Amino acid sequence: MAGILVYSEQTGLAEELISYAVSTGKAVTAITFNEEDAGILASCGADVCVVKGASDMPEAYGKALAGFIKDKGIEQVLIGATARGRNLAASIAGYLDCAMASDVSYLQIVGPDLICQRMTYGGLLVSSETLSGISVVTVGPGMFEKQEKAAGTITSLQLDADNRVKLVAREPVVKQGVDLTAADKIVCVGMGMDKEEDLEMVRQLAQSIGAELGCTRGIAEERHWLPPEQYIGISGQVIKPQLYIGIGVSGQVQHVYGVREAKVIVAVNNDEKAPLFKSADYGIVGDMYEVVPLITEAIRNL
Amino acid sequence: MLNMVACYKWVVDEADIRINQDLSVDMSKAQGKISEYDKNAIEAAVQAAKAAGARAVGLTFGNEKSKPSLKDALSRGLEEGYWVHGDEADTADAVVTAKVLAEAIKRIGNIGLVFCAEGAADTYARQTAPRLGALLDLPVITSAKEISIDGNTVTVTRKLDDCVETVSAEFPAIIAVLPEANVPDIPGLKAVMAASKKPVTEWRAADLITDATPLSWVTSVKGYETNRKNIVFAEGDAAERVKQLVAALRKEGVL
Repeated sequence: MAGILVYSEQTGLAEELISYAVSTGKAVTAITFNEEDAGILASCGADVCVVKGASDMPEAYGKALAGFIKDKGIEQVLIGATARGRNLAASIAGYLDCAMASDVSYLQIVGPDLICQRMTYGGLLVSSETLSGISVVTVGPGMFEKQEKAAGTITSLQLDADNRVKLVAREPVVKQGVDLTAADKIVCVGMGMDKEEDLEMVRQLAQSIGAELGCTRGIAEERHWLPPEQYIGISGQVIKPQLYIGIGVSGQVQHVYGVREAKVIVAVNNDEKAPLFKSADYGIVGDMYEVVPLITEAIRNL
Repeated sequence: MLNMVACYKWVVDEADIRINQDLSVDMSKAQGKISEYDKNAIEAAVQAAKAAGARAVGLTFGNEKSKPSLKDALSRGLEEGYWVHGDEADTADAVVTAKVLAEAIKRIGNIGLVFCAEGAADTYARQTAPRLGALLDLPVITSAKEISIDGNTVTVTRKLDDCVETVSAEFPAIIAVLPEANVPDIPGLKAVMAASKKPVTEWRAADLITDATPLSWVTSVKGYETNRKNIVFAEGDAAERVKQLVAALRKEGVL
């Protein structure tokens, strides 16, 4: 049986991927490790296999799933682009010795090939790629819409786990910061700020417009002034607020990747050559220590 | 002595990439650099070697222009460099790259741990570590945030989307590190001088694998289209500029 295999441990994302896969007219098999998800996934039109095995980590089944895919003659593998999903996807691709594209922003199956688009160089460029033969792709949330279809079957699937990586402990993430992805307005601090105490000045600005505080990677990972959940960029949070104000943010491409879906982008920087100005709607070239309190004051006086 | 291998990639510095009006891409003036994320892989290998009394070495696969990467990599605490070179690197996809690196790792031999970054600064494909694990049939640990070594056991804290996991594995194993795994030092002058004297083993890609045909290829590359107003308020003093900004933001309806 040829067809498409779908997996994501995020139920909503799995539903989206199944709905796309079903729309191609091919047979769709969905894998889950969570029995409770089986019915939900089946209702999108996939035949669901509930995996049983000796490991609690989906990544441990790369080799076994590669064997399953080969046996079933599956041609495309769609996996949700999460940390686990990407790991499992590349492991399957490695064991199948087949092509893979990560985090695609567009995808189409054309005959025996798969064509896709994805961001490269930290989001600076868009690259179109063709994958031949069996292919694996990872896809983030929101690319496809979930659709209900005639329910598929549900069976269980016993697979061998790679138990060489042992799970010692697992703890849910305790979010120290706010959920920036849900924020309507964000004021972001960059490395142009001299001292940690000066964060207060930017907090005042954020407060005046009801914004959340974010930062660049350097502020969180090098200076540790704000928790890592608060840094914005390709390896951090990707945000979609109405308003983003970058204070002393140079605008490296990896950071801009995380903010460019914002409706309005504002840059305040004393360096007129700061790349953020090129990605901004509005900018003020000037000393943040002069400009930021003036903005706060102007807004309070509105 | 065990080898701790850091895999790294010599990439085009994205700061030097020019995007033309028609979104075509000009890389003709671009300099190369070690992918930023790979500096964390190198540092992780150096730290692991210290902790395990092992030898930290660097491994890269690139075209002929990637040679300068060795001096930079070796100035970061690695003891030996392995340079696999050939034009195959220009068309290599993740399949070919992983095969070349896997073969090189076999030749280096006596492996403790192999470190990669999660992804490279250019393609950010995040495939190399799991693919190496598959090709070498070794355990793989990705999203590594903290790494500790006790004898032949590596224990890793992994940062995942919704949880933090602690896992362990015995040597040899493949580890993909996150940028927050460590803070690489900027090499001092002495380290840079010493780097030129460190040994480098060279292999041609064709010596390692017979078939370098990729299974995927890039059909076009263009700049990401940004449509921003690019209005910079430059008239008047700071207070006047701020006034103009606030007026503009009100007009946008975002205040």
